[in-house]
Amino acid sequence: MSLSRRSFVQTLGVGAAGMWVGARGREGSLFGSEAVFAQGAPSPIILSSNENPLGCHPEVLAGVRGSFAEGGRYNYAAVDEITALLAKKHGVKPENVLIGSGSTQILRTSTHVFTSKTAGLTATIPAYEECADYARLMGNPITGVKLTADLRMDLDAMQQASKGAGLVFFCNPNNPVGTAVTASDTRTYLETLMKQSPSTTVLVDEAYFEYATMPGYETMIPLAVQNPRVIVARTFSKCLGMAGLRMGFAIAHADTIAKLKAWDGTNNVSIMGLMGVKAALQVPDQWVKDEQARNKAARDFTQKWFADRGYTPTDSQTNFMFINIKRPAREFRDACLKEGVLVARDFPPYEKTHARISVGTMDEMKKAVEVFGKVLAQPAKSAA
Amino acid sequence: MSLSRRRLFQRLSPVEASSPAEWIAARGREAGLTEFGEQGMAAGARPIRIASNENPLGPGQHVLDAIVGKFPEAHRYPFNAKQTEGALISAIAQKNAAKNENVLLAPGSGELLLHSVRAFASASKPLVTAWPSYETPRDMAKKMGIPVREAALDGKLRIDIAKMVDASKGAGLVFFCNPNNPTATVHGKSAVVDMVKAIRAASPDTVILIDEAYHDYVTDPSYGSMIDVALSTPNVFVTRTFSKAYGMAGLRAGYAIGHAPTVKSIAAFKMPYGLGTLTLGGAIVGYANDAHIVAERKRNTEVRNFTMKAFADMGITGTDSQTNFLFLDIKRPAAGFRDACRAQGVLVGRDFPPYEKTHVRISLGTMDEMKKAVEVFKKVLGSTTTTSSKDKQQ
Repeated sequence: MSLSRRSFVQTLGVGAAGMWVGARGREGSLFGSEAVFAQGAPSPIILSSNENPLGCHPEVLAGVRGSFAEGGRYNYAAVDEITALLAKKHGVKPENVLIGSGSTQILRTSTHVFTSKTAGLTATIPAYEECADYARLMGNPITGVKLTADLRMDLDAMQQASKGAGLVFFCNPNNPVGTAVTASDTRTYLETLMKQSPSTTVLVDEAYFEYATMPGYETMIPLAVQNPRVIVARTFSKCLGMAGLRMGFAIAHADTIAKLKAWDGTNNVSIMGLMGVKAALQVPDQWVKDEQARNKAARDFTQKWFADRGYTPTDSQTNFMFINIKRPAREFRDACLKEGVLVARDFPPYEKTHARISVGTMDEMKKAVEVFGKVLAQPAKSAA
Repeated sequence: MSLSRRRLFQRLSPVEASSPAEWIAARGREAGLTEFGEQGMAAGARPIRIASNENPLGPGQHVLDAIVGKFPEAHRYPFNAKQTEGALISAIAQKNAAKNENVLLAPGSGELLLHSVRAFASASKPLVTAWPSYETPRDMAKKMGIPVREAALDGKLRIDIAKMVDASKGAGLVFFCNPNNPTATVHGKSAVVDMVKAIRAASPDTVILIDEAYHDYVTDPSYGSMIDVALSTPNVFVTRTFSKAYGMAGLRAGYAIGHAPTVKSIAAFKMPYGLGTLTLGGAIVGYANDAHIVAERKRNTEVRNFTMKAFADMGITGTDSQTNFLFLDIKRPAAGFRDACRAQGVLVGRDFPPYEKTHVRISLGTMDEMKKAVEVFKKVLGSTTTTSSKDKQQ
């Protein structure tokens, strides 16, 4: 797994805090972003952080602007207002919703509340690192579960490894591999686990929900509001194009939300993010469908480009691709960076063979594949 | 009253919560009674909000312009933006003759206070806090089952430094809020320097957190920031916020600055990318504009002098406020006063035990707001002592 937060801080020093976040973060690249932007360099093509390259709906920014008059005020009333709107949108009650500073805060808080020295975290390897990093910081044990040969979640192995866990991090679609499992498989896993392991809570991260087009994929929100041991995390950072506004939320049973809320509160979100979300909730469904289609077209184009050249992609249900480039990700990444294209960090145990590449605009991907072609035409310096 | 507020009342009224204090504690730093406050007000009335020590003018135009300038990057994580956390960290370090490793950002200083308790206090290493003082460290410690040693204030409602030193032996963390919220009093630099020395002599492993949230509003010439001391003294750090003089409470930005190894211990708990791209853009420009803060301090001082004098004319005295709020001996329970003011469209601060039977905290709005508020205070204080309607409910 990646460096833990603590060891990384020890390595770099807090002085590099900005760099540190860029280096290890959810969607950070391994290059301090300042280095990339410094000295008036032309803007790189950023394919390292699974952002929506077109940005948010213009009404979201209008909402942000509309929040300026309240910029000097604390956000408590607005948090309640937006919590109620999110609840309404998802057909649940306000007590089923907890707003967070991105889903990051939800992931951390869930890890804090539900793991312990004796009941640790279970997650696939690889999976988005937040929960594992935080469990490691707390000194709580982590059980990693390998993926199947076609880089899907191995639900049988998950089933076994989840017994006795405090928290299972169930990232679906999975970041970084992009694959998803169906709702019926997820329900079967959850039902069995609930019987097998009466004190385990499952955090279903649906960060990429809006991008998943696979038949049979569904949200676990309806199940979460019924079951105190299932939490769904969502974010506005991906399809909704609001990563810079730091807004995410959890939906769960009221008792579970109360436990999460007691630990960390809701004081970390800005009025700009809150009012941005208020506007985002009014964004027409068609806008999301258009973004889904745009993403799929750019993804299909890029994956085909790789597949045609013998580099196998996974069955991505997200706005990123996980490609077997047959050489170390680092070597590929460094070479792409020199050509102005940023791709993602290492994801052990696949760092010797696979790269994660976010889906930019079609224009960006057309330029990027030129770079990928150039880079991959060079023989690999180190063995895959 | 907005829909959300109605919902809030339906869901969790002060009556339903086991106590208003608990409700507020659950809400955090300056929830104040704003939400409660608008209950019982004339429909459509716009209240004067002087309950939460906010800057009534909000962020400056230069800050808002900078935020608009960041709109094209609203979809980028802060670490992918053209200005990352590093830009703000460097600016803070530079202004304070510090290194980047001495500075840690957070979405408001509140998060840093939580992390400090998480990092330095434990079941065997108590928290020391003045009482009353800002509640977040104490509330978090209690939640975690960490013992809390509360040091009562002195006769002038200042933090009792001798008591703080006495309580510090074996403590994990000493929380020293200077100026102190809610009493608005300050200690001069030499007194704080001596306190730090005394605590370090009595209990060398104890970490000392000096919360300077109201730093920019202090006018007492004996006061001085402890940042320089913190930078060179093990186990000492200072927290600051953009929520007060910078007018950015809604934008969520604050920082810790101090001895690098101490800051590093807090950093372990830091939430990744807690400051959004837009907030960062605003904070960078806000931080660079010292003239704006000087003007804001002048404005606040004028309003403070006006309001203090208006109370003195009514025979009401307060502490020597060095902040953007007043702590006044109104000789009656805060709750009754608060309810009566609320009915007239003025929202003042929550209860601060053990002074809730006699004192109220009133934040400073604009001069116009305070002129209107003073008329309300005159009316309310001119009537006989009232009992809180909430007390009646319970």
